[in-house]
Amino acid sequence: MDDHLTPTEERDALAAELALGLLEGQTRADALRLSLSDPAFAAQVAAWEAKLAPLHDEWANAQPGAAVWSGIERQLADAPTDKVTAIEMRLRRWRAGALLSGAVAAALAFVLITQPVPTPTPAAPQLAVARIESDAAGPLVLARYNQSNGLMQLRIHGFEPGTLAPELWVIPEGGTPVSLGQIGHAGEAEMTMPPPHRLLMTEGATLAITMEPVSKTPHPAPSSVAVASGKIITI
Amino acid sequence: MDGTQWSSGADEARAQLTAALTAVGRGDRAALRQVYDMTAAKLFGICLRICGERASAEDVLQTVYIKVWERAGQFDAARASPITWLATIARNGAIDWRRSVAGRTVHDTLPEQAAFAVADDSPLADQSLVAAEEGEQLHRCLGELEDRTRLCIRAAFFDGSTYAELATRENVPLGTMKSWIRRGLLRLKDCLGDG
Repeated sequence: MDDHLTPTEERDALAAELALGLLEGQTRADALRLSLSDPAFAAQVAAWEAKLAPLHDEWANAQPGAAVWSGIERQLADAPTDKVTAIEMRLRRWRAGALLSGAVAAALAFVLITQPVPTPTPAAPQLAVARIESDAAGPLVLARYNQSNGLMQLRIHGFEPGTLAPELWVIPEGGTPVSLGQIGHAGEAEMTMPPPHRLLMTEGATLAITMEPVSKTPHPAPSSVAVASGKIITI
Repeated sequence: MDGTQWSSGADEARAQLTAALTAVGRGDRAALRQVYDMTAAKLFGICLRICGERASAEDVLQTVYIKVWERAGQFDAARASPITWLATIARNGAIDWRRSVAGRTVHDTLPEQAAFAVADDSPLADQSLVAAEEGEQLHRCLGELEDRTRLCIRAAFFDGSTYAELATRENVPLGTMKSWIRRGLLRLKDCLGDG
């Protein structure tokens, strides 16, 4: 193009384009992926949404049919909110009181959840954990990964069953997301990681979840922003 | 429909909605119904405009309120007005649908005439919902852009149009359209100031 934007302007224009919804196809997928892996870019997108927000005054109202609310109620009916809230509260209290390093706290928090009766666990080298969560109440996934045999175990809470399925991504530091496939809405899941993916499960990499159309094979790129994310901590 | 919901005064309505949304963030389902009653007409208006037909717009609206339920804990009343926060989720949900395979398929079968309804360039602002000063500044800055650029930016916002759709409608090359809009957006940012 003959516009000669500086890299900074280029990045900001991309954020504006994503906020405005002008992009499609691969360009859109790439921009969404960037907003997932780069908090600074995500903040730029949010800033553009805020700039344009006064336009929201101009929409014409319209009445939806009554079926919409019954559909919402149906989807909420079997959400395991109470369980998640209880776990969240236990964790918050626990974190607040713990004068331990983040890594140890996260590891013990995981033990706290996976083992209702807190018993000491034998030293487990080669173990990685991640707490994949949203800012507040919402989906929560606890991941535990054994680097010696590639076994990944998940505890999944708080996803609403619906047309979209949660898909798990690993994002290496400074890299792009790689799909680990779709997971259930609730309960426990485990899988043995394929060897190429094991290399990505390193300290500081991010695990994130996006809601994607149901697919038996992993998507090449996320189509929306993460609903939950968390860093991998090795212990 | 507008008048009745918000007639008790903008601040009061905003405070009620903020309280309800905060309660939703704590997992209060009755509060979600309250948020729905206060905002469904507005959010459905957004979905309907962008999706272009009722059935899809109702599907999208349903997923929008499920997202609201999931994300309400992240709503920060100090950073955004509740209606802006909700409208952004609705608009993004509708755009996601438009960019999906299903959305593109459905949208391509819609009659052409609905498309450029946005050519009306007269802001009919209901100032009770969004802070008035911000609205005035944005409209002043939009007003400083070239007419065609402003109309295209508004079409992108209200119809969920892509670069390719706008280029076709305006009968210009894709690169020209991108250039108009990118320059327009960066000028808009300058005019609004960094904030």
